[in-house]
This record gives sequence, C-alpha cells and structure tokens, in this order.
Amino acid sequence: MKSLLKNAVFKFRRLSWRDPAGLLAAGVLLLGLSVNAVAADKLKIGYIYPSPVGDVGWAYELDRGRQAIEAEFGDQVESIVVENIPEGPDAARIMNQFAAEGAKMIMLGSFGYMNDGLKLAKRYPDIKIIHASGYKLADNMGNFQTRNYESAYVAGMSAGYVTKSNTIGMVAAYAIPEVVGIINAFTLGAQSVNPDVTMKVVWLNSWFDPSKAQESARSLIAQQSDVIFSIYQDTPSVVTVAEEEGVYVVNTSSDMKKYAPKHLLGSMQISWKNHFIEQTRAVLDGSFKGIAYWGGMAEGAVSMESWSDDLTAEQVAALNAKITDITDGKFHPFTGPITGQDNKVMIAEGETISDPDLLGISWLVKGVETKLPK
Amino acid sequence: MLDSLVFVLAGTLAAATPLILAAMGELVVEKSGVLNLSIEGMMATGAATGFVVATQTDSTVAGFAMAALAAMLLSLIFAILALGFLASQVATGLAVGILGLGVSVLIGKDFEGTTIKPLEKVDLGFLSDLPLLGEVLFAQDVVVYLGIASVVLVSFVLNRTKLGLVIRAVGESPEAANSIGYPVLLVRTCAIAFGGAMAGLGGAHLTLSYTPLWAEGLVAGRGWIVVALVVFGTWQAPRIAIGAYLFGAVSLIELFVQGQGFAIPSQLMSAMPYIITIVVLAAISRNPRVVRLNYPASLGLPYLRSE
Repeated sequence: MKSLLKNAVFKFRRLSWRDPAGLLAAGVLLLGLSVNAVAADKLKIGYIYPSPVGDVGWAYELDRGRQAIEAEFGDQVESIVVENIPEGPDAARIMNQFAAEGAKMIMLGSFGYMNDGLKLAKRYPDIKIIHASGYKLADNMGNFQTRNYESAYVAGMSAGYVTKSNTIGMVAAYAIPEVVGIINAFTLGAQSVNPDVTMKVVWLNSWFDPSKAQESARSLIAQQSDVIFSIYQDTPSVVTVAEEEGVYVVNTSSDMKKYAPKHLLGSMQISWKNHFIEQTRAVLDGSFKGIAYWGGMAEGAVSMESWSDDLTAEQVAALNAKITDITDGKFHPFTGPITGQDNKVMIAEGETISDPDLLGISWLVKGVETKLPK
Repeated sequence: MLDSLVFVLAGTLAAATPLILAAMGELVVEKSGVLNLSIEGMMATGAATGFVVATQTDSTVAGFAMAALAAMLLSLIFAILALGFLASQVATGLAVGILGLGVSVLIGKDFEGTTIKPLEKVDLGFLSDLPLLGEVLFAQDVVVYLGIASVVLVSFVLNRTKLGLVIRAVGESPEAANSIGYPVLLVRTCAIAFGGAMAGLGGAHLTLSYTPLWAEGLVAGRGWIVVALVVFGTWQAPRIAIGAYLFGAVSLIELFVQGQGFAIPSQLMSAMPYIITIVVLAAISRNPRVVRLNYPASLGLPYLRSE
C-alpha cells in the first residue's frame, strides 16, 4: 500500500498540466490518493511549480529545496508535487485539493499564486504556506525571495574585468523591480573595476520565448557586446548562443556551466535549502510564523558558482574578497554616491538604499544605455 | 555596423524558415477548401519529436523525418474528424492544436531544457566567404534553402500543374469536382497530411537549428502567425513568403533597435513585427478582386458527398 502511494506520488510529480491524458490520470490519481491517505502523523507538504522541473532554472531550484527537506526530515515528511500549473483558477483548485488531502504545509512557487494562496490561508488557519516572491503576508503565510543583487554585483565585477569592448549586453524579460535591481547592481559592480563600461539591455516583453532570447543575445553580440548577462532565462538559450559565438556569459538561478564550458564567466546560483528546512522545522515544532524572508549571501541563499578559468588569480581573489565583505555585512552594493541615467544623484554619498526602496526600485543607474520601458 | 546588418539579414532567413515551411503546408490545405487551425500544435509536436529523435539517434535527418511523420499523424486525426465526421473545422482544428501542444509536452518531458548541436551551416567555398552576401545567402543551414524551394514548388504546383488545378477545384467547389470524377475527400486528406508534414518540418527547424534546445512552449505562437500569414498573403505563395521574411526581419530589427538605446517604448517595438507585417500585406493585397479570385470559395465548409 505504502509503495503504491509512493509510486503514485512519484508519477504525479512528473505530470504536466497541459496534456489532457495526464490531466485525466492526475484526476484518477488524486482520487486514489485521497482514498489511500491514511499514513497519519507525517507532515504532508504540497508543492506547486509554475513550470516543468527541467535540468536548470526556477522550478529546478525549488525542487532542490524540496529534496533538501526530504533529506533532512526523511520519514517525518511526505511530498505531493504538481508542476507546470498556470497562475489562476487551476492553481487555486490544486491548492484546495492539497488541503482536502490533508497537506499541512504548502509551497507556492510563483508570484501569481499569491491571492489564491492568501484565500487558502484564511480559510485553513492550520495550513502553513510559504510563497515565492510575493508581498502579502498572513499569520500562516510567509514569503521568500533572494537578494540576487548581491551576486549580481560580484558577477558584474567579473564582467568588468574581462570585457575588451567595454560593452555588456543584457537579455531581460520585463522591467520589474527585481530585474531592474539586478541590472543596476551588475552595472555598479562592472563600473567598480572598469569605469568605462556601458550596458545595453534588450527587453523581451515575454516571460518565455527562448528563440527570441537567443536572437536578442545575437543582436547584442552584433553590437559589440563581449559579455552577455542572461537574466532569469529558465532555459540555456542565451548561454548556448554565447558559447557558440565565443563571448562570455553570466546567468542567473542555476549553474549552467555544462552548456557553456568555455565561456561561462560565472553563475549566480540561488538556493532555497536553508530556508525550506528552517520553515519545515518551524511547522513541525509549531513555531511557524508568516515572515517575509529575503535571503542573501549571509543566509546561503545566493552564491557565485563556476568562475571561469580565464579570470586571473588576483581577480578571483578580489571577487572572493567582495563576496566575504557582502556576506559579513561590510559592503552593500547600493551604497552612494550612485547617479541615475539622467545624471541625478539617486543615493547620496555614504548612504545605503533601504530594503523597501530596493524592493520597488524603478530607475536605472548611469552607464545603462537602454531606457526603462514606460 | 556590418555585423549588425549581417545579424538582421542572415537572421531573417533563419527566423522566417519555420513560418514559411508551415505556411506553405497550410496554403495547400486551405486551397483544398479546408481550414486547419492546429498549426501551433502540429509545429510543437514536430519540434518535440524532431528534437527527441535527433538527440537519441544523432541523426538530424531522422529528426526531421520523424517530426514530419508525427505532425502528419496528428493532422490525420483532424482529417478523420473534420472530413470523415463532418465536425466543425474551426473547433476541430483548435482541439487538435491543443492536443498537439499536450503531446509535445509528453514527448519532450524528459528533455525539458536540454540542448542539441544545431544543424550545420552549408559551406559553399568562396561563395560563403563573400563579405555580407556570403554570410547572409550562402552560409545558412540546408533547411533554409528547402524553405525557399518550397515556396517556388508550391506556387508552381498550385498554379501550373494539373494536380494544382484539382486541389484548387476541390477547394472552390467540391460538388463540381466530385461530379467530374475527382475524389474530393482523398484530395483533401492528402492536402491535410502534406500540411501536417510541413508544419512538423517547420517545428523541427525551430528545435534543431533556429533555437537548438527543447523547452515547453517553445513555438510561442508562431503557428498562429502562420495562419495569419496565409490569410493576409491572400493565398499566394510569394506574398506569404514576403510576409514571413518581413515578420522575421522586423522582429530582429526590434531587438537591434532596443540594444541601441533609442527612446521607443519596448512594448511598442515588440508589437512592430505584427503591425508592419499586417499593414504591408494588407497594402499589397488591397485589390478586392484579386483577394476574391484567390480565396478558396469553399474554405471551411463541410462537404458531404451526394451519391
């Protein structure tokens, strides 16, 4: 019986929401699960991912967090995973399904699950929810984000070191504050070692179009960019173009070394392990509170992986020193004086940006040539 | 500057190829009087199948062949429902399209986010080494040339051969074609199968050459562009090709302009390929007589053979 359940859960995990046959099977399995769900005492944790768990990327990193929970708590927890759920009514239905199945903790893997998640939190006070990148909180609903601007600053430094054309190209989806903050930090980092560097950005205006991302990278390379910064591309689209064209590339979320063994400059890795384990422990011992978690290098939530061998020993030492400073809280990438694109001083000398300002940042620093889409 | 020009021009040929292949297929289908809206799904199925087969067998040719076959099988489901059971072509096309998207996810499940070595570019010796021209015209992958050839071929067959005449007759008036002894359903089924295979090839070009990786949703609406191109190109192969190249060129220029930092809202830029393509095609097709001449009179109408 137990193995049957496990098997069912496993199969469910690999299901994708857009295939009708799978949908049917999912329904049947869910039915089976609710009948079979007798294993008491175990903490059932439901996970909803917005995209399929691939080899790299957002959902993959969330799933690594799940694996970390399972490794840490073993028999005490049980996972139910559904991937590739569009934000909207489908997500709400899955959440309610989880509740009906007796899940006492739910991880919501996308911003757009926020309002449905909050409704669920109000309806079921005994279900604890952790939500990726949202801003609404409840006693039993917290959210989590990473301070990617910290690693972006260091990655920017490395780009400043290697660029010969002093032109860096960036491929970004939408100009949301999170992305704007990363672009700024990357630029500031590059300028700190190479004041002449300028940035070109292509906004894709689409969350997912690998072909367009690749063409954007090619267009930036054709315009003399010799380092490409791939921001929140869940596929190795941009990274493979850079490898093919022989320019350096930095990517976010996951390490993509294997897709660009020669030209990956470094990867801005994120990790949910520590946060997920902490939150699960809190649910298990009853101390869970809905908090807004914003993890950086100090919390082990962001790091730099796979520095290129082309960086000199001194450069790597400087990069690592900066990482240590950021980790120890001795350095904040957004420390003034910082000037905006229009030459206005945005952060005065000696001042540091506040967290709320950084969360809502909507201006680009000097040195970024592209304007923000308005 | 030359780099940028090469980027736009060479990229245009590659970007337009999936659209052209699928559009030539759909043109034949619509000329036979059938409206198949499942292009997006068939392209996705072809893209996934081609990628998986090419990865597993190390043979790009096998990848393209199986992509064409898989999409053709999908199109035959459409044929059975729409021709055999006289189901609404619009509704059936949409349903089969959604099915195709689901099938593509299922096929590509274990390959999500993986990459493949892209199809080799041809090397025509000194021709490929010519500045600008060489890189743009003589250093593409072989499928790009097949795309151009398909425009010439489809145009020739439809307008200059007896086979083309039969296809068009079936699309204009299936009753008349039937009464002089042409097998309407067979002709339409073959047209649909051809359309499916071409959509599959177009999809495979996406994953095996243009964007050499598989990820769900990779086709990203190109199937719908194809449907629009056929209509706005007024069912004439050369105009459809012009539309496809224009669409490809503008979508690349858009990225280039963004990188230059002009103060044009990027959202407007992203809409440009659609706006310009539609405006230009509408402008060259503004003669209503020509449109009516080329519009297959029985497009989308179910046909029940009267004994």
